[in-house]
Amino acid sequence: MAKHPVSLTVNGDEHDLLVEPRKTLLAILRDTIGLTGTKEGCSTGDCGACTVIVDGKAVTSCMVLGVTASGKEITTIEGLASDGELHPVQQAFINTGGYQCGFCTPGFIMASKVLLDENPDRTEEEFRHALGGNICRCTGYTKILEAVLEAAEEVRTTA
Amino acid sequence: MSEYTVVGQTVARVDAVEKVTGAAQYGADVHPAGMLYGKIVRSKHAHANILSIDTSEAEKLPGVRAIITQDDVPSGRRVFATDKVLYLGEPLAAVAATDPDIAEEAAELIKIEYEVLPVVQDVMEAIKVSAPRLQSDAAKDGPNRREISAQIRKLTRDKENDHSDEISKLEAALEEYPDEVYYNISAESHSEAGDVEKGFAESDVVVEDTYVIPRVHQTYMEPHVSVASADSSGKVTVWASTQGPFAIRSGIAGTLGIPLTQINVIGTTMGGGFGGRFGVIITHVPAVLLSQKTGRPVRVQMTREEEFIDGRPAPGCVIKIKTGATNDGQILAREALAFWDSGSVSGASIGSTIRVRGVYKIPNLKVDAYGVHTNKSGTAAYRAPGAPQAIFAGESQLDEIAERIGMDPVKFRLMNMREEGDPVPAGANEPKVGYKETLEAVADAAGWWDREAGENQGWGVAVGDWTNGCGPGGVYVSVHEDGSARIFHGSMDITGTDTMISQITAEILTIPYESVTIRRGDTDSAPYSTGSGGSVVTFTMGNTAKLAAEDAHRRILELASERLNTNVDNLELKDGAVHVVSADPPKSISLGELAAYSLSTTGGPIVGKGSFARQASTPALAAQIAKVEVDPDTGRTRVLKLVASQDVGYAINPMAVEGQIEGGTVQGYAWAMMEEMQYGENGNINPGFVDYRVPTSADLPTVESVIVEVPAPNGPYGAKGVGEPPITPTLATMANAVKDAIGVRVTELPIKPEKVVEALKSNGHGT
Repeated sequence: MAKHPVSLTVNGDEHDLLVEPRKTLLAILRDTIGLTGTKEGCSTGDCGACTVIVDGKAVTSCMVLGVTASGKEITTIEGLASDGELHPVQQAFINTGGYQCGFCTPGFIMASKVLLDENPDRTEEEFRHALGGNICRCTGYTKILEAVLEAAEEVRTTA
Repeated sequence: MSEYTVVGQTVARVDAVEKVTGAAQYGADVHPAGMLYGKIVRSKHAHANILSIDTSEAEKLPGVRAIITQDDVPSGRRVFATDKVLYLGEPLAAVAATDPDIAEEAAELIKIEYEVLPVVQDVMEAIKVSAPRLQSDAAKDGPNRREISAQIRKLTRDKENDHSDEISKLEAALEEYPDEVYYNISAESHSEAGDVEKGFAESDVVVEDTYVIPRVHQTYMEPHVSVASADSSGKVTVWASTQGPFAIRSGIAGTLGIPLTQINVIGTTMGGGFGGRFGVIITHVPAVLLSQKTGRPVRVQMTREEEFIDGRPAPGCVIKIKTGATNDGQILAREALAFWDSGSVSGASIGSTIRVRGVYKIPNLKVDAYGVHTNKSGTAAYRAPGAPQAIFAGESQLDEIAERIGMDPVKFRLMNMREEGDPVPAGANEPKVGYKETLEAVADAAGWWDREAGENQGWGVAVGDWTNGCGPGGVYVSVHEDGSARIFHGSMDITGTDTMISQITAEILTIPYESVTIRRGDTDSAPYSTGSGGSVVTFTMGNTAKLAAEDAHRRILELASERLNTNVDNLELKDGAVHVVSADPPKSISLGELAAYSLSTTGGPIVGKGSFARQASTPALAAQIAKVEVDPDTGRTRVLKLVASQDVGYAINPMAVEGQIEGGTVQGYAWAMMEEMQYGENGNINPGFVDYRVPTSADLPTVESVIVEVPAPNGPYGAKGVGEPPITPTLATMANAVKDAIGVRVTELPIKPEKVVEALKSNGHGT
């Protein structure tokens, strides 16, 4: 199958690639670039495990064809911590026990990060609905919500 | 205040940073150089004869490196279907290609000719004489026929006397049970205590119902995956996402006839399992076969759709149950007849039907259970396998009895609960378990005693019991010159167990939790360890880690005794140093100094070994209360409150224990209200998250967890396994709450809005 040039900025690094048009952004991140922190849970855009940030928006990368992501700026879970310092959302997930098996965690953290960037003043109920596109099977969500609320508090006080 | 400093404390998990940064390596993250991508070719029919498999077109596709069928399984053990398929999605062949999309394309190019056969999906249809036979033509007798047939056999054996009259009477009696000849039976299980007929006769109230529980998928977020690499010497390495690497090693060895020690299984970080991650043939064996054929590493990874059509979910079940009690609230008898949907192979959790006895003093009990073949994939364990189904029936019916006799459901349960020393029907006598403490704790926390319910609101309570398993385990612990300790073992971390092992080690060596690190070995290097399922890990590996740390502790005192020139009886290990008891001035030597010293001794370095296999474990109880509100027009149920308590023995890491309670409860909620694998004429029809809905954060409020600690005699620090109990009562908790809210009982799960509307209509609502 013919390949097409695709230029992506991923976690600040530029990648000039040749990819088949059928390859998803998720497949490119995981198989071509080797960033395996982003997970594949369903390949149909329903579980949120593959959530990454594309130009500031949370996106399920299994639903994006790589060729359409050319020229975009992408942040994955590997790019969230800076200077060896965890992002407040990452730290909050540790503090509250907001993860168990951890497979959905990168997706939850990326989705939560965008929600906090947009508006950290949401209520618990609003966060519960805003995170409804991410599935966790271990925690029952109680501690994930604790994490997001703790991170929101941290973002509010340091902003 | 606790006498312990590290156990009993909430600590961040040992894998915290790798889990929140994407660094943790799951099965699909393994990518050896030259790796090929495997794809399983699956049946497109639920029941069919296979006339031919033509791989020629697929072989021509550039990038295809191998195509295998059952002909390529040298051991002859069934990996792929040959002449007949029994369910939609049954594997027929597998492809390896240089790219996952090419592998998928090749799979589509394989031409399979089918002769379609009649399908049976419903257990109650499958047992009938009219049903197509899936595995054999044999028929089994139901409970009444079994008894009569046994008597006939007994009399026939007695050749000394003439029993022909009695025998012909009994044969006539058999005719009274024409519906009790069951077909497609894969397994059966029967138990009995006391005399149920007598118990029902003495009862004031007898209630009989049939409960239907659907097949549900464990829905771990990481689909099944394995990467296999077979080298030219015959050595096979398998990176497996599994709960039990040692079980996978023996499974592969047995299936493919490879010597055990020629197989190394490397357990990768597991993206959830809940009992469903022990399967050998699902991905591991095809990956090994493809790697052997191509000489290259091969990854076989299931899609979510494949998980639903060819995973090994929890069995659905139909339970006919009957309970008798006196007007003053004493349960006298219970009888259950269960049909478990075991799919195309035997192995559903039919033995768990005994859980209908609950934790109550039921003097008369009779349980008959059958596994039934249907045109579905086989089943596997799911969090307390079989218990949620049986307990749903038992605990739902208890509320029906409580209502008939006008007794509070919590008081009714408390009154009938077994106490220490009480006989357990068809079991050993009861040890000390916090049954009443746990139920009282949840009632208090939920505000049960002064509960209020508005219009269309209701409260439900239920309890569920489970006993953690136990198995072999081995642990080594080394103490280093910097005073730190390193644990080495081979059990898979199941959401916090490595942390628990580290806490126990730190506690015994009296060093900070941060000074302990843990390393998991593969099956080539680590000591044998039982699989991480059945809530075994805290009990087994906790005890094993304790033994290893105690062994190191002994060596530490021995070294200190040499160094400090005093008898070990005068020494105490405290705060990471050995002290001479009541020495003035104080005299001590640190663990680091002792570890450094040990390197030049005859006795050698500090290495503790723990090896453990069996101790009796103690039952645990989960008790839950829900408050719901039902919209009578739409039938939608909203949870207003969900409180879950559990007797955990002792909470080694309270945050992790709460996480297990919360997660298990929500899985139980989902089984009660949302989840159901649906089957049409040609197999599963909802193989994805749009049609098979699992809960999201928007579906539920915060689950409140309440930890109750009644120590288990043989558990490490009194701990019991905590993973499985919390799912056991929730199905009934929700059903009882909905009943309380709308006055009608839904006996068939899940309690979807349409069923609630139906139930209300049958009760005169909206007419």
